[in-house]
Parts: sequence; structure tokens; C-alpha cells
Amino acid sequence: MNLFNRFILRIKKSTNLRNTSSFAETMELSDEILPSIYTRETDPVYHNESHLNKLYNIPSKDCATILSHGLMNQYKIQLKIFNEMSILIRKPSIELLSYLSKSDYAKPVNKYVIYGECGSGKSTLLYHLLHYGYNTNKIIVYVNHAQYWFTKPKEIKYSEIERNIIDLPIDTRIWLDKFKLLNNHILCQANIKLSKSYKWGTGANFPKDSSLIDLINFGIDQTRYASEIVAALVNELKQASRIGLCNVLVLIDNYNIFFSHYTQIKNSLKKFALTSEFSLTQNFLEITKSDWCNGQIIVTVDTAVNKDRQESHLPRYLLTKEGFEHLDPFLPINVENYSEDEFYTMIDYYKHKKLIRSLTSNGEKELKLLSGYNPYKLMDLCKHL
Amino acid sequence: MVVLVFSQLIAFKHVKPGGCTYNLLMRINNNLNNGCLYSTEVSKKIDANDLDANENTKMSKAMKAYLERAKAYDDFIKTEENNYNLGKLHLSNMMGVKSTNFTQIDVDKAIRYLFPSGLYDKKARPIMKHPKDIFPVKKAAQFDSTGRPYHSMFYTTKPHYYKALYDVVECMHLLDATEDKLIKNDNHILVPIDLSNSQWVNQENLEGLLVEKISTEQEYFISSIEKLCQHPLANDVKDFIMIYRKLKQSVMQNSTIPELMYDSNNRPYILVTDCMRKNARGEVLVIGQGSGKITVNGLPMVNYFKNLQEREQIIFPLHFTDMMDRVDVEARITGGGPSGQSGAIRWGIAWALRSFVDLNMIQKMKVAGLITRDWRIRERKKPGQEGARRKFTWKKR
Repeated sequence: MNLFNRFILRIKKSTNLRNTSSFAETMELSDEILPSIYTRETDPVYHNESHLNKLYNIPSKDCATILSHGLMNQYKIQLKIFNEMSILIRKPSIELLSYLSKSDYAKPVNKYVIYGECGSGKSTLLYHLLHYGYNTNKIIVYVNHAQYWFTKPKEIKYSEIERNIIDLPIDTRIWLDKFKLLNNHILCQANIKLSKSYKWGTGANFPKDSSLIDLINFGIDQTRYASEIVAALVNELKQASRIGLCNVLVLIDNYNIFFSHYTQIKNSLKKFALTSEFSLTQNFLEITKSDWCNGQIIVTVDTAVNKDRQESHLPRYLLTKEGFEHLDPFLPINVENYSEDEFYTMIDYYKHKKLIRSLTSNGEKELKLLSGYNPYKLMDLCKHL
Repeated sequence: MVVLVFSQLIAFKHVKPGGCTYNLLMRINNNLNNGCLYSTEVSKKIDANDLDANENTKMSKAMKAYLERAKAYDDFIKTEENNYNLGKLHLSNMMGVKSTNFTQIDVDKAIRYLFPSGLYDKKARPIMKHPKDIFPVKKAAQFDSTGRPYHSMFYTTKPHYYKALYDVVECMHLLDATEDKLIKNDNHILVPIDLSNSQWVNQENLEGLLVEKISTEQEYFISSIEKLCQHPLANDVKDFIMIYRKLKQSVMQNSTIPELMYDSNNRPYILVTDCMRKNARGEVLVIGQGSGKITVNGLPMVNYFKNLQEREQIIFPLHFTDMMDRVDVEARITGGGPSGQSGAIRWGIAWALRSFVDLNMIQKMKVAGLITRDWRIRERKKPGQEGARRKFTWKKR
């Protein structure tokens, strides 16, 4: 598709075609006769090699819960216009799913580091695993926008307990809110009790054996204690999974931000704070330690969030020595750009969704060269206006 | 001895003897040999033979004045030449080189070494050259010692221009005569003249051809010779017409397309060096039998150029010639920014692809502006100004 065609497409789409589009019709059709690019297997638990290079839809009833932590802007708009969340089943996700189903949960937690070029689909892979965790009734500790905590937080507060620690009460409360939304049904089922008593100030007093949900609810209501409650939550989750009360899946996107020296927040000494000075960093570093079992830890590393480390996308470089030693031992998993088959699946998908029309074979070649098989760049080229 | 400045004479080589243009051109040639001799040596010849011997004979005042001027000029050049040789001797001494081997190149080097100059304009820097290279050559006499001009149209003040016009008319008459003959004989085979691959010379070139200053006369001359071109037998005098026409650039360039070379894997390739755009310089290697793999400085093109604009620039020649999945490209580029670098690579790819596509496609590429080189570079900032052209904001006080 040359530039001229794209231009025409833009004009067409920006005029009355949008109003008269057969968008609703397409949805009905897709329910009845599913195109060959889709698979009917919507449960990631049963995904295997036979589903490779196919798309599956997250069921619309679970969509709101699973995506409660928010999406990348680009995805948000796509979700709105397609009215469905489709995920391509790719080799690394099949590999990871098989590891998760086969691993011995009595042993200390396994750690996986997902790495790859910018825009190769690492975060999307996490959504796939998130769906897996949701379907297998695991408690999911999911962090996806950690970089914003250190660049534009909603509120900064120096901790009452330790002066040199920075709290982000509102951001923490928002995270707690999303955590509760994502795990509400399992928390109710498991009915986890606190292993020790907690007391902060005069109002906050939680004796031993009180419910974990109450603790979370308290953190959501009382914003000023949110940071301490996340610390307690991490502690209790580890304790509960050690006993075998629950199974925890930790998914952290852009994990290398915790070892970056680049923040825009000043500490009590009026100097730019390090990420390690934040209570949230300490909490999420705590949960990625190897001192607990009955859980899995999957993190991604990306060059996009670390401004002082841009040369390579490999985990050792991005995590730095400190982070590497913290995570070690872990299994690195590479997410590559699209293969030829995956590329054509996505092209068919965009065609099916009528984002691109009348694409010639020359146009396909051009898209290949311009995107270099990179998922994000391909999406950017074919996206809505 | 005698330097003939007329470039018309070069065209004689292509004319076959016996033809109708041949006679005409031979006459032009004779006129030229009588007329326009541009050299100081000629004046010397007159000086030596005529001045002393013909003292008693009658000589025109103009000739006398001319001879005086020529003598003064020769004397001046002689002293300058002596000074130059002496200076060269001193220079060779200073540089510690034998004076016999001391050439003009060595002089330039020595001057650059002894008088280093940071002046921007190269013409403003110190030079030392032979006086003949520095002082303009005086025009030789256009008349003999009795004051009689060599050229029959001397008094028109533009003899060569008017002579050329006369030649056009003469050709016209000649063609009319031959046409009459052909009609009489009734064997009328016409070959139309094909001038599509050439164009008329511009004013500057015409001045060079005629060795005369002309201004509005050029239009008149071109319109006259165009009338000649419209004659049904104009092909017979094509050689004469082609003197005043220049071949089009595209016709001249076609012959310079390099042949494909083959590497150890028997894959055809073309290496284009000196790719430039703005401040970017680099080279592009286009390899045939490829799959559309493009690397820039060892990185995939997609990773090297973050913006879509630059990637589209690079793909454009491949897309235009439909070679997107048939060649591999390896580019090495330094300097400049992304836009300049991508522009340089685009030109390099297009330049190399000429060897992979047919002539028709090359013409199309030329029309699309792919072959054209962009020579523009950043203009320097000027002192006393804010930028290259912009002046500082003017304030009353």
C-alpha cells in the first residue's frame, strides 16, 4: 500500500464512512463464523503449539477485570474501536505457559525475565500470562506503569516512620484499588488471615488473624497508610503462599525502572531521589526475592523506561549489576519481532478489522520493510487515525 | 604557434567531404584563418618584420597605436616574468629544493606554507603565479599594417555574429536549390531531421562560440536557425545546425552506467561511494538476488532510523523500481542528521539501481527526481548577522 492509497484511506475514513461503517455487523458475523486467524480456545490454560500464530479474544465478561490495571494508550483506543481484546499466541508465551503449568510449586519461586527490542510485544505477553493467572485462580500482583511513579506521581510524602523514604500515597492507593479489583474473587475464597498484628499510629490497629481484605480496604480508605499496607500485604502474601493458602503470580512490567538512577522527584535533602528511596520500590523488590515458594515471578525489561541505559536490550545491561544479583537465578526469555507467519496473521487481522483495505502484494512488501517485522511499528503503520 | 579559439572548427571532423555543407564549411574555415588570430605571438611577428622594414611605407595611425600598446604590454610581461623567475629561485632556496626541479605545484605549496591564510575566499589568499596566468591576454590586431581589416564584416562591430547569420541564409539557399533539383528529378526521399535529444546553446555558450559579446541578438539568431530547421531538407545540413545545439544531459549520462560486478557467491553488486546530502557522507552497497534486507552502519534500518519519514525515504527508490524484495542494501554513513543521512542513502540506492533496471525505468527514475543529486549544503553564518541571511533585530537605541 503506497502513501497515496493510505492518504485516500484517511480521507475516506475521516468522512462519512465512519458513521456508516459496518462495525456492528462485523461483530455479529465474527461470532458466527470465526475467521481462520482466530482460535476458539479462549482459555490460556489450554493453549499449546497447535494454537501458534493465531489470535484469541479475552472473553468480554472478564475483560474489565483483567485489564483493570490499564492499557497502553494505543491499545485503549484499539480496544474501543474493535470492542474486543485480541492477543496473538506466540512462541515465548506458549513456552512460558508450559513452564508455569509444569513447575514444582513446593520449591522456591522461579523467576523469568522477558527481554526484547522496544515494541516486540513483551507487555502484551504479560497480558496473556495475566489472563492465565486469572483463569487458574492465582493471586496476581501486577505492576505495569511503574515508570510514572518516578516521573509524575500524584502526591509525594516523606514517610512518617523513616524520614529518608518517599511515599506516594495516592499512587499506592490507586494500585491497591486495582489489585483488589483484579483479585477480589480469590481473596474472598482463600480468606487469608494476618500472620501477625500490625499497628500504625492510633487509628490503624490490626490484630493477628484479622482478614487480609479488611487490611486492603483500610488502605484504600485511608490513603495515608497505603504505603505501609502495601508492605504488609507483600509480607502477608509471601507468608500465605509459603503455607499453601494461595498461589501468587507476580507480573512486573518494566522492572528495570527499579534500578534506574533517573527520577524527577527530589528527596528531603533537595536532591534527585534514587528509585531505591521509594517505599513502593522496596516493596516490589521484596516480593521478587527468592525467600518464598508457591509462586512465580515474571518481569520484563525494556530500554524505553531507562533513560541512562539505551545501548542494548539485554537483561544484564538493563538490570545493572545490582538488579542482576537481586534477581539471580532467573531464566531469560527473548521476545523477537514477528516471524513471516505471525506477520501475515496480523495483516489478515487488520484487514479483517478494515483498518487496511485493498492491500496489494507490493503494499505488503512495503509494510514489511517499513516496520521491519516489529509489532509496535506495524501497529503504528496500520493504526486508526 | 597560432591558437585558434574557434570551437566551430572541431565540428569539421564530422563533415564528409563532397557534401553541400562541406564546401560551405571550408569557406567559413578560410575566412576564419584570415580573420581572427588571438595571441601575443602574432603581434610579435608583425613587430619584428613589419615595424622596422616598413618604416618608410605608409602605416595607419591605428596600427601605430596598436603596435605601441603591444610593445608596452610585452615589456611589462617581460619584467613581470623576470620577477617571477627570480622569486621562484628565492623560494626554492628558502625551501631547500633544487631550483631546476621547482615547479608551479611546489611554488603553490611553498606559498601556502610560508603565508598561511585563514581567509574564507580562496581567491583572496596569497598567490604567486606566472604573469601570463594572472594578467589577461590582449586581443591581437584585427587588421594588417596598412589598416585594412582581415574580416569583411569588421565594420559591423560583430563580424562573427553576422557571418553566422549569413551562413544560415546561405544554407537556406543551398537547400532550396537542392530541393528544386530533387523535384525535377522526381526522386523525392525525405529524411526528417531529429533534434529531440539536443537543445539550443544558451547565450553564454553562443558568446563562446562566436567570441563576441551578444545580448538580444541571440534570440534573433536562434529564430533564424530554427527556420532553417523547418526546411524539409534540413537533415542535409545537420552538422552545421548541431554546432549551435547541445546534447541533452540524459543522453550524455546513459553511457556512464557501470556494469554489474559479481562477488564470491556470484551475486551481482554495485558499490556507490560519495553519497552525500546536507552534511552526511557515506557509501551504499546494493546486492542483487536479495530479500529486502537493509542495514545502516550494521544495524537494521528500522532500528537506525526511528522516524517513519526517513524509512520511507530509503524505501522510495526500491518501491519505485519494484525491487523491494529483490535486493539487499548495506549502507555506511557518517555526519549530518537523520534526514540528511536517509537522503544520502536514498540517492546511493537509486544510483546503484540504474545497473539493475532497464533504460526506460532509468528515464522514469530521472523524472521522479531519484537520480538528481541535491548539492545544497548549509550556508555559513555571517559576522554581524544573526544567521546566514537573517539580520539582528534592529533597535533604534
